[in-house]
Amino acid sequence: MSIITIKNLSYQYPISESDALKDVSVTIERGKLYALVGANGGGKTTLCNVIRGFIPHFYKGDLRGEVLIEGKDIREWGMGELSQKVGYVFQNPFTQISGVKDNVFEEIAFGLENLGMEPGLIREKVDQVIRMLEIDYLRDKNPFELSGGQKQRVALASIIVMEPDVLVIDEPTSQLDPKGTEEVFKIIELMKNKGKTIILVEHKIELIAEYADYIILLNEGEVAMQGSTREILTDERALTFGAALPQYSLFGMEMRRRGMDLGSIPLTEKEAIEAVKTWMKKGVNA
Amino acid sequence: MNNERSMLSRLYPTTKFMITIALCLAAFIVPGYGFSYAVLPICMVLAYFAGSFKEFSNLAIKALLMIVVFIFILQSFFYPGHDILWSWGIFSIKREGVEFALFLTSKIVAVASAFILFFRITKVKDLVHSLEQIGLPSKVTYVILSTLQLIPEMKKLTLVIMDAQKTRGVETEGKLLVRMKAFLPTLSPLILGSVASTEERVLTLESRAFSANVKKSSIYTLEKTKYDRLVQILLIVLLAILIVWRVAL
Ligand SMILES: Nc1ncnc2c1ncn2[C@@H]1O[C@H](COP(=O)(O)OP(=O)(O)OP(=O)(O)O)[C@@H](O)[C@H]1O
Ligand SMILES: [Mg+2]
Repeated sequence: MSIITIKNLSYQYPISESDALKDVSVTIERGKLYALVGANGGGKTTLCNVIRGFIPHFYKGDLRGEVLIEGKDIREWGMGELSQKVGYVFQNPFTQISGVKDNVFEEIAFGLENLGMEPGLIREKVDQVIRMLEIDYLRDKNPFELSGGQKQRVALASIIVMEPDVLVIDEPTSQLDPKGTEEVFKIIELMKNKGKTIILVEHKIELIAEYADYIILLNEGEVAMQGSTREILTDERALTFGAALPQYSLFGMEMRRRGMDLGSIPLTEKEAIEAVKTWMKKGVNA
Repeated sequence: MNNERSMLSRLYPTTKFMITIALCLAAFIVPGYGFSYAVLPICMVLAYFAGSFKEFSNLAIKALLMIVVFIFILQSFFYPGHDILWSWGIFSIKREGVEFALFLTSKIVAVASAFILFFRITKVKDLVHSLEQIGLPSKVTYVILSTLQLIPEMKKLTLVIMDAQKTRGVETEGKLLVRMKAFLPTLSPLILGSVASTEERVLTLESRAFSANVKKSSIYTLEKTKYDRLVQILLIVLLAILIVWRVAL
């Protein structure tokens, strides 16, 4: 059963002239990782806001169409209820601290305190998450005094600790170096293996190729393409909609164009090496 | 948390507040101005035991000196009275004025020192925590805490904005007037920036279930120890003795 169903969704921000989302229909299956991609201003963050219920509960504006979370309309969900169902890590890490805690440990605990969980249990869970995200060295720091990348990881930890079924993560690696990015993706994979449904906005297409199950490509508020990761990333049309393609699939396409068809379009480095090897063998045999 | 904090600073916030109130009450119960002035040195001694002698003394003396001098000048010259101690032209110092100034300033010194002491030896976090325990709504305590946390952040932000404007040629150093002029343009990015981040702050709180309809818990704990009991009883006894002594007098 799908966990989120969106049908013919259009949305216009209150003071805006045009729709930020136009006739979007998307189905999100439980336990899968969806990558939301597309050029800046394509409506990715807006769609995240709808799924988390900030639209229409916080941003008013004009919402048309149907958005069902576990079969229940988004307009009927209470905000408090949704916070335990859908966790949302924002694009901007700088505003994502509670502002009332003076150390990272308590900052991460804040959400669970608000849920009234027993303090002993909170400590246990926060400890777990801190270990999982390997941010033990930040434990006693003031959240205000973290770097952008550190804030991003603390923000992620603060949401993960609340154990929502769905994780909506908007550009979690924008402030991270390659190593930090790799680590965050490891965490995302871990979450997926725990059965979480993940909706991830991300520009680093190589990583999407490696981790995502499905891709939704938004362009100027419309779903330009959607399908399995392989389908989308081996389709040249994605480029015309402002998406990037992994260098390996670009390579495969270029080879094909030059009459050296590899047989399939590779997505990852591993596949590319594999494909080139078999292709070279074929070449030698012929 | 620092375990080596002195016994005094480890007292529960309400106990510390009781010390402050007791000092204020005592200042009004004991007649004359001698004791009231003595509250300042008493507070300095207490601050010393709480390990914040310097911060307390600096703040208290700086804040109080101005007020005391100002009141003295004003009251001794302008308080209506007949007993002239000293005069110069149309100005004259009257005994009634001096007496009133002594009374007024001594009480101000006592109350102000007691309160400054309280805020010096009580961490805001502890205070807010204890208020929450008493039953203040978490929305109110959130506003108090976040505002107090925000002030140093705003300061930093102001410096950043000023730097940015300096590189664009806005004069930010020099005479007071120049600096005032430079301060105004920093206000709009500061305020606009704060408003914009308020919106996101609301969403952040929402993401962390701040509006969930359950009783919140807290992993931060403050315990009342036997010392709290002891100090509270001591204070009440002392006050009682004072009152009895005063009435019997
Ligand atoms: N609060 C708002 N009020 C009015 N219009 C908005 C608001 N937020 C976004 N928009 C508009 O909606 C459109 C989609 O924006 P959105 O933030 O969803 O894009 P995005 O795909 O997340 O872009 P990016 O990659 O830059 O994060 C843009 O045209 C933007 O100007
Ligand atoms: Mg965005």
